[in-house]
Amino acid sequence: MKNIHVVVMTTIVAVKCADGVVLASDRRASKGGMIGSKSVKKIYPIDSRKAVAIAGQLSDANYLVNLVKAEAKLIEFNRGFPLTVKEVAKLLSNMLYSGMRNYAPYITELLVAGVDETGPNVFEADISGAVTDETFTSSGSGSPMAYGVLEASYREGLTVKEGAEIAKRAVRSAMERDPGSGNGVQIVVITKNGLEVLDAGGAA
Amino acid sequence: MLPRGSEGAYMMYTPDGRLVQVEYAAEAAKYGSPVVAVRGKGFAVMVARTKEPDPLLDPMEKIHMVDENIGIAGAGFTGDIQLLVDQARVEAQRHRLVFEDPIDVRTLVNQLGQFMYQFTRYGNVRPLGASLIVIGSDRVGNHIFQLDTRGLILSGKALAIGKNSEAAISMLRGEYRADIAMKDAIGLAVKALSSAEDGESPVEVGIANGISFRKMCLKEALEPVA
Repeated sequence: MKNIHVVVMTTIVAVKCADGVVLASDRRASKGGMIGSKSVKKIYPIDSRKAVAIAGQLSDANYLVNLVKAEAKLIEFNRGFPLTVKEVAKLLSNMLYSGMRNYAPYITELLVAGVDETGPNVFEADISGAVTDETFTSSGSGSPMAYGVLEASYREGLTVKEGAEIAKRAVRSAMERDPGSGNGVQIVVITKNGLEVLDAGGAA
Repeated sequence: MLPRGSEGAYMMYTPDGRLVQVEYAAEAAKYGSPVVAVRGKGFAVMVARTKEPDPLLDPMEKIHMVDENIGIAGAGFTGDIQLLVDQARVEAQRHRLVFEDPIDVRTLVNQLGQFMYQFTRYGNVRPLGASLIVIGSDRVGNHIFQLDTRGLILSGKALAIGKNSEAAISMLRGEYRADIAMKDAIGLAVKALSSAEDGESPVEVGIANGISFRKMCLKEALEPVA
């Protein structure tokens, strides 16, 4: 289990702001040393006020996100009100944890962000199933560069507009120096009024 | 041809479309001592009388804690009620394992309803002879629910189950107001309870407000806030 933290080629960023959250990602999928795709979507809506940014094995991440999307909808039908961001993060992390425990881990890191009645929330769930509550966070091979920008620019009380600008700069910086990241920035903004794709990042 | 010895153990419709075993079980629940619940703005309360006090016995509890935010009182067979309370407690803890948060009342009630309903679908099992009142608080608000043998779930502003609950319900129907204060709601519930069943035995009160459920004796519930 010592090599469980595998390197994943990507840059994803999530920022908690005063009035919502921002998710940003690059658009590159790497296949070994080669660019497998230049137009990958890495931010997926769970419902109208929550989304997940994915890093790592695309198939694993897609599978988990689809499963949690279905589960979240069923729970909402059953009890009559939507899940919190933390509940979505926990559903994901429970699967990640059991994957790790059964020697068949899901090779992925997920940033779960959204707005619920407790306000804007950002959580990170990693391959081991650990969940952490974050104000801003980044994952993937480009995250050291992205963190440089986030650490320098983040402050409390950012608006989503300012947050989106910082997130965009963080991903762009990573794309400059990280060969695993590139081909455009996608940005999703979530406020209490809903989810908006601010920039599709030059969607092909 | 039914297997030998199982005649009548099958849960099957009568020619006029009824499940008599389920109806008999529902009848059993009507003999339990009554429980009354009232919901107001920002709170939900329930009241029930414990068994007649006996100097030789420790008092039995009628209102059961499920988790810090939910309580249950039942009418009917004690063993069946205990099974349901155990089931509810397990579901509440299971929810905490998955989400690290207390279960919401609706989810718990749906699960209990499913659990009770299963006993009406198969042969060789006995439908549970119990009705429940579940009250609790969660981030959506304060709730009162009623569950019966069939797995039917009711929710509302005021509910009653058990012996003579029709009398309690007709009193609640006449005297319930939407802006009722908590002490008045407890008073009304006790009055409705007494209209269903006379008795001098102690009244237990369950109060759900904020995000917690507490159980207390009537005197404590009506004390002015210090």
